Amino acid sequence: MATTTRRPPAARAGRRLGGAARLTTPALLALTAIVTIAPFAAMVFIAFAPASGQTFPDAFIPTHVTLENFRNVLSNSDITRWTINSLIYSLASVLLILLFASMAGYAFAKKRFPGREVMFWSFLATLMVPFQATLIPTYILVSKLGWVDGYWGLIVPTLANSQAVFLMRQFIAQLPDELFEAAEIDGASEWRMYTTIVLPLVRPALATLGVFVFLWHWNDFLWPLVIGQSGEMQTLTVGLATLQSENVPVNQVMAGAAITVLPSLLVFGLLQRYLTDSIAATGIKG
Amino acid sequence: MTLSTRSRPSAARRPRAGTAPTTGRRSRQARVGLLFVAPMLVLFTLFRLVPTAGAFLLSLTDYKLSGEWSFVGADNYTRLAHEDLFRESLLVTLTYVVVFVPMTVLLSLGTAMLLDRVVWGRGFFRGVFFLPYVTSIVLAAVIWKWIYDAEDGLLNGLLHLVHVGPFDFLGHSGSVLPSIAVTSAWKGFGYSMLILLAGLQSIPRSLDEAAMMDGANAWQRFRHITLPLLRPVLFFVLVIETIQAFQVFDAMYVMTGGGPVRSSYSLVYLLYDTGFKYFDFGYASAIGLTLFAVVLAVSLVQRRFVGRED
Repeated sequence: MATTTRRPPAARAGRRLGGAARLTTPALLALTAIVTIAPFAAMVFIAFAPASGQTFPDAFIPTHVTLENFRNVLSNSDITRWTINSLIYSLASVLLILLFASMAGYAFAKKRFPGREVMFWSFLATLMVPFQATLIPTYILVSKLGWVDGYWGLIVPTLANSQAVFLMRQFIAQLPDELFEAAEIDGASEWRMYTTIVLPLVRPALATLGVFVFLWHWNDFLWPLVIGQSGEMQTLTVGLATLQSENVPVNQVMAGAAITVLPSLLVFGLLQRYLTDSIAATGIKG
Repeated sequence: MTLSTRSRPSAARRPRAGTAPTTGRRSRQARVGLLFVAPMLVLFTLFRLVPTAGAFLLSLTDYKLSGEWSFVGADNYTRLAHEDLFRESLLVTLTYVVVFVPMTVLLSLGTAMLLDRVVWGRGFFRGVFFLPYVTSIVLAAVIWKWIYDAEDGLLNGLLHLVHVGPFDFLGHSGSVLPSIAVTSAWKGFGYSMLILLAGLQSIPRSLDEAAMMDGANAWQRFRHITLPLLRPVLFFVLVIETIQAFQVFDAMYVMTGGGPVRSSYSLVYLLYDTGFKYFDFGYASAIGLTLFAVVLAVSLVQRRFVGRED
């Protein structure tokens, strides 16, 4: 959109400063890009380097590439279990949040019911309360339910996501009322209207939200740390922190790190454009 | 609070067009509406509202792991006021905020301005800068801990090439917070960069061109055109980053364990230890509410400023 309004290079070339800027801008961008990528490169180099190569220049001169770090971290730690936990945590949360948030968003956008405004604004108001401030009471509640160190305790409290409800309401509010009136005249049930009108029409919004929810949960740390007390219930982020704190060789820690980042990179590779556009449009943030 | 100000919450209040609903239809609508909102409402009440109210109540008790408790009034808060550990962690957190926020905002603004100006490769660079944002702070902390390592690390390896160092970045109280701030800024600047880039691109080119015709130099154009027009967006980014900085914990937990000698021991770190190492839940809740008060104050300052804008 903005590219069409960009001034032609010729207009800039006339200015001395503009001429210089034409070279410095790409140069600065390239430099920043290298610094941004360097830590990832370091991770990959060390993860594939032999056990002795964890020092700076050596690790970057790949004399021979080895998978031994990956083999070791897979056999010496619970990383397989952590990966499964992270997948369960992230995927279950995505599915349930998309379902419940779109249902609530539909009700808030298209239905009139007593207490609607109060409910909606109290949903929004709790966005002001940092999660850490309610960490202790949430933990006590979960332990009273007997859910500590289990999937229920990990997943269920994180489903109360006001940002998701807010976004779904914004999107569903844009659907024309006439659609629902026509369906109602045709005798469609409410559940049918939700599944055949709302869900298909907000599919792009669901996809965007789904990706963000996945990343939030995949990268989440504090709640899994508190709730997954045994080694078996840790997620990948918590497990990686554990690896780092125990005396595991750096090569193996980096191999573990490379495993944790893989799904994020996959999501990024497939949907980068999509993610960056929706941040610019809605300000969505974890 | 983390949502953009561009959304229109009043949209749903618009009455349904055309037909006036009959009483029967209205009550059916109410029933359906409540049913659809029910699952989220239950979750929300149980895991957001109850814990928020619970935090206030708990902070007035000496609730212990066993579940035994008695009402202690404001004791936890008087204890906070007198505890060195709390004062230290508050100071560490404030220092971190002061170091991190300008760093990340300048980095985001700088890269956004470069991207706004570049003629070729914008999508590519935007993608590269956004990449760390999709990873976890734990991953960032693990990688950067190695980068800062006094013996094997990348940074000291580079410094060695010019015969400087080695320097133990995470081992000194003076450098540990800036080092952690760099890690967090690397991980997160892509988000603010995107918001600022969207803001920059909404500024009409013609303004800049007109000023250029009048002979304004680059700094004058930035100071008198870009900056005033970008102010609301810049403020949004500033508030988001400040609130986030006050909640710092993950990077410190992984990189330093709060050290050396508690010089990276933040407010949330103290909350975590108080709650899950000493199981002093009442006192930990009081620390949590202090954090809430700080975050609320930051948001109210934002309200104030944005209000003045109109």
